Amino acid sequence: MISIASMLRRIATLRGAVAGASIALLVVTGVLLWQAHNLRNDPVLANRALLDKTAQENVTTAVSRGLTQVLSYDYQQPDATRAFADQVLSGQARSEYDTLFASLQQRAPGQKLTLAAEVRVSGVRELTRSRASLLVFIDQRSTRAKDKQTSVSAAQLSVTAERKGKAWVITGLKPL
Amino acid sequence: MTSSEPAESTEPAKPAPFAFGNRRAGKNARPGQGAPAASVDEFPSGDADYGVVGVPMEPGVQEVPVTVAPDTAVVPGFGTEPSAKPDLEPHASSRLRGVGGLVWLLLVASIAAVVMAYMSWHQADHDPDRQRAALRDEALIEGTADVETMTSMDHRHVAAGIKAWQSVSTGVLHDQLVSIDRDQEKMLADEGKIATGHVVQAALTDLTDSTATMIVAVEVTVRDDDQSKAPAVKRNRFSADLALVDGQWKIENLQQVAVNVS
Repeated sequence: MISIASMLRRIATLRGAVAGASIALLVVTGVLLWQAHNLRNDPVLANRALLDKTAQENVTTAVSRGLTQVLSYDYQQPDATRAFADQVLSGQARSEYDTLFASLQQRAPGQKLTLAAEVRVSGVRELTRSRASLLVFIDQRSTRAKDKQTSVSAAQLSVTAERKGKAWVITGLKPL
Repeated sequence: MTSSEPAESTEPAKPAPFAFGNRRAGKNARPGQGAPAASVDEFPSGDADYGVVGVPMEPGVQEVPVTVAPDTAVVPGFGTEPSAKPDLEPHASSRLRGVGGLVWLLLVASIAAVVMAYMSWHQADHDPDRQRAALRDEALIEGTADVETMTSMDHRHVAAGIKAWQSVSTGVLHDQLVSIDRDQEKMLADEGKIATGHVVQAALTDLTDSTATMIVAVEVTVRDDDQSKAPAVKRNRFSADLALVDGQWKIENLQQVAVNVS
């Protein structure tokens, strides 16, 4: 009978120890989960530039093609460039473009001007699911049919693109 | 952006004041990186054998005619005093066992939880994306500062300027800068210019564990000693090859991205 009482006591003590250990483990669990959560939400991960290869290629291709189209110009078909602008530009980029286009249209027919743009290199600075900002180096070759004069100018553009559905649209355009 | 601004901003093929280039140093890349398993034991829930009555008997025992009273019956295989307090004892002990079982169950559950939490944390901590993102941001920040140093020179402090160039460069470019002799130093001093490079915007085009390629739009302001004259501002575009040396990103090659005239 004494042995039973002491056994019960021992069991009770053991029970307490086990419960204590369990609680300690649960506390450790909580700390670990909290840390893991913080790591996963590290702001450094929000920018997918150079992490998400596919998305980066998509936006780079779209922006390169778009810029090449809208920055090329043929005085004989000014509407073609305009049509491209309608497709790939919007917002600030569109109004910036319209200003430039207006001055170009004044000079171009007289000089018989042709512009051909080429993207030399581009880098993605920031990339999220719906937004990207890029630095793009462009060469723009202008030819005057009148006197066969050709010159190439270099431009550095800061470009912002936003995803509209599946396609990327250029919403910001700033020469640096 | 079309014909007007950029045309005057970057002159084709004209080298930047302090651009070094046309030399390509070799690059090296390294590839990079698992998880443990846990097992859970099962605990028997104490029941069945405790009731005095209705204990399943072994076949051999069953053949013995039942002559003893139920409360004095000795349960085969069980050593706890059955005669003493037949009522109280089994009851208290089974209650205790039940709670005890719960406690053990709790322990097992907490062990499982802590193992899972550890695995989750370990995975987050060793996320290759996180490390790469941190590396990317560092390369961009340090590379930007390096380019600004490389595009700046004060004719009054040429030696200090060259020291600064050396400290942000590596590889062939570094060797070149180390071998700048007195004559060249004197030339820089005699130019009488104060050039200050400012990176307007930069982006990485490539990144490995130890190398990176960065493109930069730089604005270099060149002043004379004559403060009355307005400073000349030159816009340039560069491509810089960076290398991680002893935890610091340094420039291996800095080249102007000249227009393609062909």
